[in-house]
Amino acid sequence: MARHIAHRVMISLPVLLGVLLIGFLLLQVVPTDPATIVAGPTATKAEIEAIRRDLGLDEPLWLQFIRYLGRVLQLDLGRSMISNRPVSEEIALTFWPTVELMLACLVWAVPLGIALGTLAARRRGTLVDRAIMALSVMGVSVPVFWVGLLLIQHVGGAGLLPFQGRAGPIWTGAGFLSIVLPAITLGAVFVGPVARMTRTSLLETLSADYVRTARAKGASDWRVTVKHALRNAMIPVVTLVGLQIGFLLGGSIVTETMFAWPGVGRMAVGAITSSDFPLAQGAILVLAVGFMVVNLAVDVLYAYLDPRIARS
Amino acid sequence: MTDATLSLQSEADRRAIAAIRRKNAVWRRILRDPAAAAAALFLIVIFTAAVLAPWIAPFDPYTNNMRLRFCPPLAERCPGYLLGADNQGRDMLSRIMYGLQATLGLGVIAVAAGGGLGALIGLSAAYFKRLDTPLMRLIDVLLSFPSILFGLAIAAVLGTGLFSLGIALSVAAVPSIARIARGAAQSVMQQEYMEAGRAVGLGDGALIWRYLARNCWPTILIYMTLQLGQAILLGASLSFLGLGAQPPTAELGSMASDGRKFLQIAPWVSTLPCAAIFLVVLAFNLLGDALRDALDPKLRQ
Repeated sequence: MARHIAHRVMISLPVLLGVLLIGFLLLQVVPTDPATIVAGPTATKAEIEAIRRDLGLDEPLWLQFIRYLGRVLQLDLGRSMISNRPVSEEIALTFWPTVELMLACLVWAVPLGIALGTLAARRRGTLVDRAIMALSVMGVSVPVFWVGLLLIQHVGGAGLLPFQGRAGPIWTGAGFLSIVLPAITLGAVFVGPVARMTRTSLLETLSADYVRTARAKGASDWRVTVKHALRNAMIPVVTLVGLQIGFLLGGSIVTETMFAWPGVGRMAVGAITSSDFPLAQGAILVLAVGFMVVNLAVDVLYAYLDPRIARS
Repeated sequence: MTDATLSLQSEADRRAIAAIRRKNAVWRRILRDPAAAAAALFLIVIFTAAVLAPWIAPFDPYTNNMRLRFCPPLAERCPGYLLGADNQGRDMLSRIMYGLQATLGLGVIAVAAGGGLGALIGLSAAYFKRLDTPLMRLIDVLLSFPSILFGLAIAAVLGTGLFSLGIALSVAAVPSIARIARGAAQSVMQQEYMEAGRAVGLGDGALIWRYLARNCWPTILIYMTLQLGQAILLGASLSFLGLGAQPPTAELGSMASDGRKFLQIAPWVSTLPCAAIFLVVLAFNLLGDALRDALDPKLRQ
């Protein structure tokens, strides 16, 4: 198990380095020389040179990159060029709303997807199955922003639910109401893939020997499906749900931007369009590292659920 | 096939073999599914409309007419404006046709470039056994990486615009095509003619190009086509976020985003481009499903 984890970490390292390199590059394309800003408008050339040396800006790029890695490890990501607050502080503010939105989406979309997938597998080949699978392919084809626009137009526009910003933490009444529409938007594109994975996985387990044994034993149809087949079918579903986190991340960036949800994704988009390079660097770094950590966790969970994986 | 074996077959045999080949061709099996056939037909119509947009679009997509501002579809106020007009009185139908041209065109170019690179990586991984593990491990990680993050990072480094968008879409297309190409190439590598080619003394380049690539390209091309749906969805999303095409460019994602401001008074301005994206991506996904069924007989039971 430990070897398996170490192996996965090793594989992720080059990508992590690539992400950090992009973050470093972003700070290099800042159009103004940081030294001239620090020195102020009245500084002489010699003073600017001294500050450049002081900040380490005259060193070769690879050395600056290593220093950058050191700073990132200390969570020092620089300052936003617009608000002048530390980037790490900005990220700390936006991190929880993003996690909240993702959880609010998963909490209804995954159970619904599993239920629909189970129903489709049980009624394989019938109209119900076809309808659910048609819904699922529509779900993966619809642009997230269209779902959001329709909800804003019909539900938000009618004044039924708020659709701008986050009124507070999810456990407060106003906060809960403000997360409903974003969570429905993001979840709507997630139900389809989950339903489809559940259906495929369940169909495979339903034809397994132990399911036949359970039937022969006289267990009821419903009991066989839920207690015997579905439990085993869940192993790939859990992993695949985890691996779809990247898909969810993409959706959440769009959803946050549409609903003015104060999360990391919206901050990243805002920082890029307003050329706030340090903030963009921090946001992209957090999104990428967050994604990699979740991926690693899912991988380990998979190996724990299905020990055959770790050995292969 | 050598001339010696060919001469052993009669003309009739050869025709029969060709007929069987045609009947079992993957695309033919795909089109047996009515939904996939309808999707293919729809895509042909859409692509034709997009390519011919400059000739068949009823109006110029950038000419505004303030008197027709927010004219709803099929209204008497604006005869000839079948899908209505937007906030500047521009014809929606023409803008959608040009928008399809931009969205689809970008997708095709990006998938061709990224897929080409991916195919090269996949073929090399299958041919040079030593490169296989490192290359495919990298591809696996890239594959799991959310493609929208490539878009964000590239837009951040190169600035927003169509060029960065194209690069982002190309990068996103590389890993899945690389995997498919490797799979296809590995089965070709088992064939005896590869061994024969090497025995004759052909170099690596000739073997890869003449034997490997030529036998793999139909599979790779089919997957590249299906990848277009994903590329279009990603491109539209990035443009919607303001990281790709910028207004007033007629591009579906940025049109949808632009129309958001008038959602309550003129919903069609953003809804119609969204519907266009949805239908195109849906058609590609239906084709993809049919392909999976055609290639995996287990699912056909």
